[in-house]
Amino acid sequence: MAAAERVRDLRLVAGQVAPLALARERTLPLLPALTSLFPEGGLRRGSIVAVGGVGATSLALAVAAGPSASGSWTAVVGDPGLGLTAAAEAGVVLERMLVVDPKGQDVAGVIAALVGSVDVVLVGPGVRIRPADVRRLTARMRERGSALVRIGALDEPGVDIGLRIVESEWTGLGAGHGLLRARRVRVETQGRGSAARPRGAALLLPGPQGAPVVLGEPALDEPAAGESEVRPALRVLA
Amino acid sequence: MSGPVRTLVAWCPDWPVVAFGRGLDEPVAVVHANRVIAASPEARRHGVARGLRRRVAQSRCAELDVVERDEAREARTFEPVLATLDDITPRVEVTRPGTCALVMRGPSRYFGGDEAVADLVRDRMGEVLDGRTEVRVGIADGPFAAGLAARAAHPVRIVAAGESPAFLAPMSISVLDRPELTDVLVRLGIRSLGSFAALPAADVLARFGNEGRGAHRLAAGLDERPPDARLASPDWSVSAEIDPPADRVDRVAFVARTLADDLHQRLDHDGISCVRIAIEAETEHGETLLRLWRHEGALSAGAIADRVRWQLDGWLNGSAATRPSGGISRVTLLPDEIVPATGRQLGFWGGESEVDERAARVAARLQGQLGADAVKVPERRGGRHPDEQLVLVSASTVELRGRSADLPVDGDEVAPWPGRLPAPSPSRVPAKPHAVELTDAEGAMVTVTGRGLASAPPVTLGIRGRSLPIVGWAGPWPVDERWWDTDEHRRRARFQILTDDGQARLVTLEQGQWWVTALWD
Repeated sequence: MAAAERVRDLRLVAGQVAPLALARERTLPLLPALTSLFPEGGLRRGSIVAVGGVGATSLALAVAAGPSASGSWTAVVGDPGLGLTAAAEAGVVLERMLVVDPKGQDVAGVIAALVGSVDVVLVGPGVRIRPADVRRLTARMRERGSALVRIGALDEPGVDIGLRIVESEWTGLGAGHGLLRARRVRVETQGRGSAARPRGAALLLPGPQGAPVVLGEPALDEPAAGESEVRPALRVLA
Repeated sequence: MSGPVRTLVAWCPDWPVVAFGRGLDEPVAVVHANRVIAASPEARRHGVARGLRRRVAQSRCAELDVVERDEAREARTFEPVLATLDDITPRVEVTRPGTCALVMRGPSRYFGGDEAVADLVRDRMGEVLDGRTEVRVGIADGPFAAGLAARAAHPVRIVAAGESPAFLAPMSISVLDRPELTDVLVRLGIRSLGSFAALPAADVLARFGNEGRGAHRLAAGLDERPPDARLASPDWSVSAEIDPPADRVDRVAFVARTLADDLHQRLDHDGISCVRIAIEAETEHGETLLRLWRHEGALSAGAIADRVRWQLDGWLNGSAATRPSGGISRVTLLPDEIVPATGRQLGFWGGESEVDERAARVAARLQGQLGADAVKVPERRGGRHPDEQLVLVSASTVELRGRSADLPVDGDEVAPWPGRLPAPSPSRVPAKPHAVELTDAEGAMVTVTGRGLASAPPVTLGIRGRSLPIVGWAGPWPVDERWWDTDEHRRRARFQILTDDGQARLVTLEQGQWWVTALWD
């Protein structure tokens, strides 16, 4: 009789001392340039991130690059025009990338299948998901721990954190000379819950090598180390 | 402590080719994940070797017939061959289709010596094979040495008891079939099994972990695992009734899948993995069929289910002589040899990790749902245009686990592509470029002269009915590709165009028409 009670008490204690999964541990690592935009400093597992504005694709790739570089798989759904070279330059590991064409069938079903098997699902700009499907997907994502990045779906329901590019300016290209070198952008966040407080960051997106760079670091105005812009003086050859 | 069990290994060379019913005098190559895994002797004569890419193999032998690997067929066609050995010993073990092993102790005494058994095995198997391929038999202490003896056999090689270490010593380290490990060893100057075996076991364990220790024991002519590592086996077996009895493999396969999952979960729960499994089927007329399957690594749930399916397929679709007389009414899986799950540290060798496995599985599932071309993976190719540098290939043609997207061109570095645009690359490359107008200050179309100069600075970009003022531009960068080929010859001139809405585009002039071919979004 006392044994049953003691078992119950032990269960209670066991429940209390069981390790908790801290929010920090339930995140996927982001590139250092982006951590200031996310309240947890990482991409929370189970969350939906939407990106918008001119340069949304680069921003989406930058978000996916962090988890990808640390070992996660990325799946791209419904975005056949995504620049793969740009993805690689942003830091997405192509060896761990699947590109899925839902072929006009149930996109939400395809995403649901990917959730749990790949950590980051990148959804293309043309893809529409019904609000009811979003709710079902969210529940599944929370359980399985994957994150969704939607390009150009800032005002859709279910979005936990929206990243909008509000200013964007290219450098490096003149009138008839130069080359696209980097784009200065200002990103602002909107969101709900812990992401409700708006945050902002000035970035180079893409930076001179393709990967995003936080502005303030020597990257744009001074040439980066090892990348000399000074041409050697002309010499007379015999 | 007893040494390795005396074992006979019978090996049918080129089984993946033979399984397709192809003669060995035809040039045939069997590929898996775009790599040749087996080739007929005729194909090998032309230089087709294991590990070559499909294209390279085809370029070496023009008449080469390339077939996709079909493991189920290999197992099914091997079953009648195995069935002939059943009355020599009831416990014939399949290492993989084409290779089987049997423990010699009983048969050797019964039939009067190793030679007698070897001849008997060759006769029996040769009868069924009917000249499709030869049979090579090796007898030695332990399955590893016996397997190598079979490979060295012409057609029989018997290594006397206790001679296995000496037999193994001069062999190349590569026979261990652990490329990552042997690669390191070769760089350390260890090229033969003998010199590897001479290393102190403790140091090998410290440096190379469990996998290294296993390889070291094999090289020394011992069993892969020390005998005391084997666990006394309580009853791990799982079984399922099939009612009504099934005579089609798809119905049994469904049961096999659940059984395999069930078994795997139970073993997993107790920290055990299974390296050899007995698959037993009982028919409605009370016949029992039993076969052992071995796997070098631990058998995963999927691997168990596959083997059960192959085996049942082999029985149900075998020849009239070996086919059971009724439907299968019960399937039992019996983990025959289990070891503590030490966790093969595959991550260390860059091999299949759990995440890769999950991604590969979901890729296969979506391909089943949507079609093989619905799931693709990027692969590096050469090229100047953004859509040429990386291409998407169907996920079924590559091995997703631990893959590398780099494409070394026959040992060479990928050539540099002069004229490709430097980073940052465009983030959107539409599959179908859309036509635009690029006009100068007078409103005339900008053209590019034969010497590669723009006729006038571009001022507006007309796109989808809108005209956008151009705030920055650079170009033209002409490309003249494949001028040697009249069909594929392309001449293009590319511009980077920045319009006042902040959008940068790659605009290309080809055959008198301007196209937006990429976008920096």
